[in-house]
Amino acid sequence: MKGKVIVITSGKGGVGKTTTTANLGTALAMMGNKVVLVDTDIGLRNLDVVMGLENRIVFDIVDVVNGHCKLKQALIRDKRFESLYLLPAAQTKDKTAVTPHQMKNLTNELRKEFDIILVDCPAGIEQGFRNAIAGADDAIIVATPEVSAVRDADRIIGLLEAAGLTRARLIINRLRKSMVKRGDMMDIDDIIDILSVELLGVVPEDEMIIVSTNKGEPAVLDNNSRAGGAYRRIARRIMGEEVPLFQGDEAGNLVERFKKMIKLAR
Amino acid sequence: MSSLLWMHMRMEGKAVSTTLRKANGELWVDLSGEKTFSAMKESLVKQLNSLDDYLLGTLVSIDVGSKQLTEKQVREIEDILLDHGLHLKGFMNSKSNSRDTANSDKPVLEGMPEYAETLLLCRHLRSGQKVYSNGNLVILGDINPGAEVVARGNILVMGSLRGIAHAGAGGDTSAVVAAYRLNPTQIRIANHITRPPDGEVVTNSDPEVARIRDGKVIIEKLKI
Repeated sequence: MKGKVIVITSGKGGVGKTTTTANLGTALAMMGNKVVLVDTDIGLRNLDVVMGLENRIVFDIVDVVNGHCKLKQALIRDKRFESLYLLPAAQTKDKTAVTPHQMKNLTNELRKEFDIILVDCPAGIEQGFRNAIAGADDAIIVATPEVSAVRDADRIIGLLEAAGLTRARLIINRLRKSMVKRGDMMDIDDIIDILSVELLGVVPEDEMIIVSTNKGEPAVLDNNSRAGGAYRRIARRIMGEEVPLFQGDEAGNLVERFKKMIKLAR
Repeated sequence: MSSLLWMHMRMEGKAVSTTLRKANGELWVDLSGEKTFSAMKESLVKQLNSLDDYLLGTLVSIDVGSKQLTEKQVREIEDILLDHGLHLKGFMNSKSNSRDTANSDKPVLEGMPEYAETLLLCRHLRSGQKVYSNGNLVILGDINPGAEVVARGNILVMGSLRGIAHAGAGGDTSAVVAAYRLNPTQIRIANHITRPPDGEVVTNSDPEVARIRDGKVIIEKLKI
């Protein structure tokens, strides 16, 4: 079977690309897929930190494309799942150390070994972005419900379309239902209205994510994590399952549910 | 002669030195300035050599000014493009005088100027994308914030206009901007620039049209 290359991108920084990559990768591996995470943020690598694999790095992506080592030598196996691997970015070089052509070859090489190749894209639209999307079959856009993030996502979708990636799907990250309800935050419909792309999932704001990224333990491993649950559902949707966008848990507390029931009864 | 489409990303009024540009996932090459076919080929090759392989498989439209190419010349151009991994989409004649003055069809909107050329765009325009039309411009899709449409004639958006629209870019003050949902960042008509008032969030659900009346840009309901 030929693997699928999915690039995770956003344009704007700090919206949760790396967290999303780590969690989706882990969730997909939990479901039994052979997954590799590729960090293309050369010079500012941190996917390894979020995965808790920093201390295992010997070779990196630049070593691989320059032929300093074999691909297998640079791949780091996850400490929790046998079917999950990480190809770390280089920290001492910059984004021009890899070309889009080299990335294409690299992803084609990875396709032979893995079911799913998740590419963590750097922020921005320069060479790092062009590298990351070079070998991709599919794209996932991460945006927070902020005007600036949505604007950048829009630009990115345009650039992806220009590069032939016309079926980008959107993850809305860090949504706060209470703020949306008060009218203080863009809601899902507003965002979809502007971006007009398929919605892949919505991840609620969850303070615990900070704890889990600091510890190097993706949130999907925690059954009680709200964000983790959302990522698990997104992973199932990536695999083609029909999963509802929201689960009961996002209705949150009892009071909310009660209100809903009363509304229904009317 | 049929109406001609000519799209160009440039600042209005200012000539640009490079004649090759990317727009909407396609390449547009302007060879209208070259006098002979061999000069055109030379200029094309030179410009294609400056591209990176990121554009492989891209469609290319070429503006040949007022020239008509023979079949053999078309094939030669195609071969050059294929050598660079690109595909020919078509040719345009930006400099021929094709305005059909005998056409007496009444315009849909009263007082709307007539332009022989109309560019029809069936897609969304996203932030950072810009489209230029030498005549009218019709978009079946949205113009998102950060995107810009410029036309020498009128602009009609069959969707939401949230970005910038500049109608009558050649100085035509009778040009209009009409949109199914008119929520622009800015509207420019000829040399007038206007923006929605600060702090006021107006949600309208009717098609509207912006035009110049008494030296001011006004917005009114679209009545046909």
